[in-house]
Amino acid sequence: MAILRTAFSGDRGDLFLLALKTSALTLVTFGLYRFWAKTRLRRWYWSSVRPGGTPLEYTGTPWEKLTGFLFAIVLLAIVLTLANLVGILTVIDLMETMPEAYMGALVSLPAVIFPLWFFARYRARRYILSRTRWRGIRFGMEPAAWGYAWRACMYWVLNICTLGLTWPLLTFQLEKYLTDRTWFGNARFTQHGSFLRLYGPLLPFLFCVWGGIALWGYFIYANGGGEAAFNAFQLNEVWALIGGLVTIPLAALFGIYYRVASIRVMADLKTLGDGIEFDLYPRTRKILKIYFFGWWKTYIAAGFVSNVVFGAVLGVLWLTGNFTPDMAVNPPINVAIAIGVLTYLMLMLMAQTFRQTFITYPLVEHIAQSAEIHQPAFLGSIRQRDEDSRGDAGGFADALDAGAAF
Amino acid sequence: MSGYVEHIRNEAFAAKLALTYSEFFDGISPVKQRVSLRISDNALEIKNVETMQVTRWPLKSIREVPDLSDKAAVIFAGDNEDPARLVIREAEALQTLVESGAPLHRLRGPRGQLRRLGVMGVIAAACFGGLLFGLVPWFANAAAERIPAEAEIAMGQELFNQIYVGTGSSVCTAPDGVAALETMQARLTSGADLPLPLTLRVVRNGTVNATALPGGQVTIHSALIEAAESPDEVAAVLAHEIGHVAHRDGTRGQLRAMGSYGLIGLLFGDVFGFSAAAGVTGAVLDASYTRDAEARADAFAHEMLETADVSPAALGTFFERLAAAEGDMDLGLLRHLSTHPETLERIEAARHAGEVSAATGTILSDGEWASLRTICSIDGSGGALDGEIPPDGGKL
Ligand SMILES: [Zn+2]
Repeated sequence: MAILRTAFSGDRGDLFLLALKTSALTLVTFGLYRFWAKTRLRRWYWSSVRPGGTPLEYTGTPWEKLTGFLFAIVLLAIVLTLANLVGILTVIDLMETMPEAYMGALVSLPAVIFPLWFFARYRARRYILSRTRWRGIRFGMEPAAWGYAWRACMYWVLNICTLGLTWPLLTFQLEKYLTDRTWFGNARFTQHGSFLRLYGPLLPFLFCVWGGIALWGYFIYANGGGEAAFNAFQLNEVWALIGGLVTIPLAALFGIYYRVASIRVMADLKTLGDGIEFDLYPRTRKILKIYFFGWWKTYIAAGFVSNVVFGAVLGVLWLTGNFTPDMAVNPPINVAIAIGVLTYLMLMLMAQTFRQTFITYPLVEHIAQSAEIHQPAFLGSIRQRDEDSRGDAGGFADALDAGAAF
Repeated sequence: MSGYVEHIRNEAFAAKLALTYSEFFDGISPVKQRVSLRISDNALEIKNVETMQVTRWPLKSIREVPDLSDKAAVIFAGDNEDPARLVIREAEALQTLVESGAPLHRLRGPRGQLRRLGVMGVIAAACFGGLLFGLVPWFANAAAERIPAEAEIAMGQELFNQIYVGTGSSVCTAPDGVAALETMQARLTSGADLPLPLTLRVVRNGTVNATALPGGQVTIHSALIEAAESPDEVAAVLAHEIGHVAHRDGTRGQLRAMGSYGLIGLLFGDVFGFSAAAGVTGAVLDASYTRDAEARADAFAHEMLETADVSPAALGTFFERLAAAEGDMDLGLLRHLSTHPETLERIEAARHAGEVSAATGTILSDGEWASLRTICSIDGSGGALDGEIPPDGGKL
């Protein structure tokens, strides 16, 4: 039985230079270059991932992304303005009776964004897949973004209401919705299994959250119940400390463990076409390590480089006589603001660049190297699919900031 | 086909082929094909070594796939549209292709992308222009004419709490000062026909400014009173703000801001937190809306001052002093982007109104002016004002 393993090639130094160059251009063009930056980074990452030795290819273009972005913001602007105008009429009505509703109306606006956000994520995924090829064959996805959006909203509401008890249902159903609509050439991916298989990895999280709630309930019960007990609980600092410092970080950690493990479980239960199978075994500990040390490295490196550049600029100013010690104590307002803005931009630039080298790169490397394709002989029966229509090319995700890391 | 030598030759030939083989994907099936390469008739001949099937790529249309991370292989496409891919790992084969004279441009997207972008750019510009300069201001004006006074007053009160009380600017309530302020208001507005009752306050605030919020809420900053050298200058600014109330500019502005909420932010995306850029753009936009409103409020102020027997020149004098002392006072960094542009034109207009004016009086006596200057010796409560403002606005 043959297995196609996945290799990861690509040099971290090359990526650093590419990320630095594209981030800097994005910065000086007020964000306009981001469509080119995204395209070039994706091309680079895609060509690094080589299932069976053949690299993936990304064929998206910056021009179609910019066009799609304009298309998306035109639609969003029209919808947003109409919502604003309806909002004004409502506010004028409400203002007479309850002025607080005025702020309430402004604050509730983001709630409308959630379905749109899931819609945008589906569209972005569809675009990326339609621009991905392996061995000359296109991937693709069916148009079903609204179906995904309302399902995602429902499952999330349910999950929050049940305090995580229906999390596997959410994970599995949404992943199945995506997988079953994904194609490689004329072969469809299928998600097998059931959400029940995800309760194993979720147990630590559930113990943590529900255990915390049970302790809480017991404490209130032991104190005679009612509001007095509730207040006593809040006043008891030791309990509050244990509750806050132990339960919450532990729940977050177990939540991440569940996410990684669920990806692994569901990858094992996916098939493609006539019977191609997959194996994906990312290690939770490795991923946590990448994130934890990656963030530290990113911010230490970004802070260090920014300070060096900042110092160099001050040094040059001082050498050319444009900087006096008096200015350090009492800087003129525009100089202070200019320095503040430049430092901020420098920090953003370096953070963006180092994030690619210290987090995205090792993450993609680890996940790619853990991927296997079983029964590749079935690939022989797969044929090419037609190119997808252009659509918004990820423009909605860009406008709503629902994009991926690159 | 017989003979030992012939056999060996064939073997050697086959071995050489195997050495320089490349991978080919025909764009129809994902099966990897071993192919040999040959240049002939300005084309690259790609021959499958098992099926002997030949694919011909014209040299001039062959494209190289860009931004590859793996330097060990180079990937080519037949042309921009062709999904077939040729993966060359052998230096020898690569050299053959490079020396063949093929231009080997980078692979680009399909044709017509720039045209599509141009069309969409025009549509987007028209759409945003239509919304920001057409629909939203029209709607705001229409709504400002129809909004009930109670709603407008409540909205202004909410904004006042947000802008001043929420940021720690307390209302000044020294009784003598309040009395002087009331005198000034009474002298200015006697006989004037305002759509709303005025609510006039002085707040402790270091910025030289005054505002007219919706619902007749006029607020003078303490720094403005300190910067003024005569009560007439304060009266001139007050008359200007009353002009905004008369024209309901505050309500219009607020409704416009609500109607275009989030539109500018859409344009900039959020990659590096460019909301600052969005803010500056919004300020420029605001300035373009308010230019006419300012001129109208100034004209209103000139008339109101004349009626109160105060020379309209006071408005110009005050602006002139501010412009001269710009460096010393906190006028905000982007002064040229502030909502009061073309200061020179306004000074000129005020001077002209002063020249034709017959007014000779002053708005307050010396004693009253001294009281007004000490209005901030007593602060009101720093907490939020409750929404209940008497309809006559007579709190101060
Ligand atoms: Zn004004």
